[in-house]
Amino acid sequence: MKPFELIDHTADVGIKVWGNTLTELFENAARGMFAVIAREAYKPQGSKIEKNIEIYKNTDSFEEILVNWLSELLYVFNREKIYFSDFKILSLNNNGIEAQANGVNLDLYQSNLYTEIKAVTFHNLKIEEDVNGFNCTIIFDV
Amino acid sequence: MAHAWQGKLEKLDNFRWKIPQTYKSGMNVPGLIYANESLLSGILNDKAPEQVANVAFLPGIVKYSLAMPDIHWGYGFSIGGVAATDPENQGVVSPGGVGYDINCGVRLVRSDLTLKELGSKLETLVNLLFNNIPSGVGSSGNIRASVKDEEEIFVKGAEWAVKKGCGVKEDLEFIEDKGSMEGADPSKVSKRAYERGRDQSGTLGSGNHFLEIQVIDEIYDEKKANAFNLFKGQITMMIHSGSRGLGYQICDDYVKSMISCLSKYNINVPDRQLACAPINSPEGKAYLASMKCAANYAWTNRQCLMYLARDVFEKVFNKSWSSLGLRLVYDVAHNIAKMEKHKVGDKEKFLCVHRKGATRAFPPGHPDLPDSYKDTGQPVIIPGDMGTFSYILAGAAGSMEETFGSTCHGAGRCLSRSNAIKACHGRQIDKELFNKSGIIVRAKTRGTLAEEAPEAYKNVSEIVNVVHGAGLSIKVARMRPLGVIKG
Repeated sequence: MKPFELIDHTADVGIKVWGNTLTELFENAARGMFAVIAREAYKPQGSKIEKNIEIYKNTDSFEEILVNWLSELLYVFNREKIYFSDFKILSLNNNGIEAQANGVNLDLYQSNLYTEIKAVTFHNLKIEEDVNGFNCTIIFDV
Repeated sequence: MAHAWQGKLEKLDNFRWKIPQTYKSGMNVPGLIYANESLLSGILNDKAPEQVANVAFLPGIVKYSLAMPDIHWGYGFSIGGVAATDPENQGVVSPGGVGYDINCGVRLVRSDLTLKELGSKLETLVNLLFNNIPSGVGSSGNIRASVKDEEEIFVKGAEWAVKKGCGVKEDLEFIEDKGSMEGADPSKVSKRAYERGRDQSGTLGSGNHFLEIQVIDEIYDEKKANAFNLFKGQITMMIHSGSRGLGYQICDDYVKSMISCLSKYNINVPDRQLACAPINSPEGKAYLASMKCAANYAWTNRQCLMYLARDVFEKVFNKSWSSLGLRLVYDVAHNIAKMEKHKVGDKEKFLCVHRKGATRAFPPGHPDLPDSYKDTGQPVIIPGDMGTFSYILAGAAGSMEETFGSTCHGAGRCLSRSNAIKACHGRQIDKELFNKSGIIVRAKTRGTLAEEAPEAYKNVSEIVNVVHGAGLSIKVARMRPLGVIKG
């Protein structure tokens, strides 16, 4: 199974994401988002930084947790200039998500980064389950 | 040809197409798309008409869910959408109806320079603008604001910049709302949003944001052009930018928090990105007070960018900006929600007008216009793509009658970013533009150039002809790009 692929959207950018499990779906979505930011082939260089991401949100909607998870990574990326490439989800349930994200420090202004994501949107977002696992389509505002 | 849109569409006349209210159960009003036959064909292949229908679900929406001819598929709202909601009829405000880049907008600066006088200085000018104006992803600026300053920017808007010496009082007259919306409340802005706004004042940003040096190559309405101080052969400068990370974060915060309002206020919308709350609810009021902070920040930002650019002109021409005649023609917001007075039936009502990728276009005589534009109508600035033209129009009576004082905002994309990159694979867009049209382009990344290549956009002239023909705004002049700086 492909982890994700970029999809066409007239004004913005989207990814279609797959995962055998919900956890894998969330990890692949994060990978997909950073591939949008700097192209899939991009290999970040530098010393590794590890961040713990914890989001507490009591909700029935995993879509809401997914958007919160990606928004949080985007926020840390913008604030601390860490480009994440590796994700490990420790727990994921209706109370939120706990995860480790690994990346490298990157000066956005100096780098030849590709696309600025303004936000992760809820547009038509629905996590679907079939015999192969989970999938969803996420649209970013760029 | 089979279109992606399979729903019904009624042709009202050569410029107007109606999506009947019966298209989807739950629509509170019909949809109305402004387009000609050829633009419509592109529009129907996009998912935008479905979004026009979805917006019609918003509680309290008045008359129509409107779409301008530059409409294209967005998220939640389409880009190029206008929706007015009535607070006295459970009307809602939707952060998605404004978008993430709150008060993304354009300003046009005129000069006394002619193309001949600019002559060989163009390249130096463009290079110096590129070096002196911070642009690119997440760029930080030289105009630094303390936390206290930031709060003042939120409340006072462009006036703050003028107070700091970035421009003169006269500039404020020529900004929509004089560069400051009343009722901004910094306490409604999250800590994260504050943080993201702090070091980005006076920065252009990336993507479709730009600063462009242009020449007026066609005048359509001599009288209005005179009133706007514009003439054929004149050098102008256009600045397109918004509220940067601050606006993104405010929209993000409120879209997330308003999702819970959908069940709280029993609101049924087909897409969560249309999350909204009644205008007069605590959540609705908080969003508007916060949105105004970002709107004021964006006006400050464009004011600072103009200041930086004037400074560059002074260096290149060795003259003061005022003796070069570098005066602001007007500054418009094209992503915003505003409480405005409009006629509904035979009553005047205060409505919340959402303009997402649409420009205010107040007609002659409107009380909100500066004295010098009272007879002409509001200048409407329509940027095109970097290879063809931009336009200046004037607001017309039709906009008040039909579109809640609104018109189009630009060319509108027709190719997705990835398709644009595919179409431009192996090409050097900057060289092409220079060889073909002598346009000097400077951009931070090659990717931006391909994404923003002229063929990624609809034909802006066609868009402008539709709003002109429909009587929403009148063509005044056309500008041709000479030099462009991109993020």
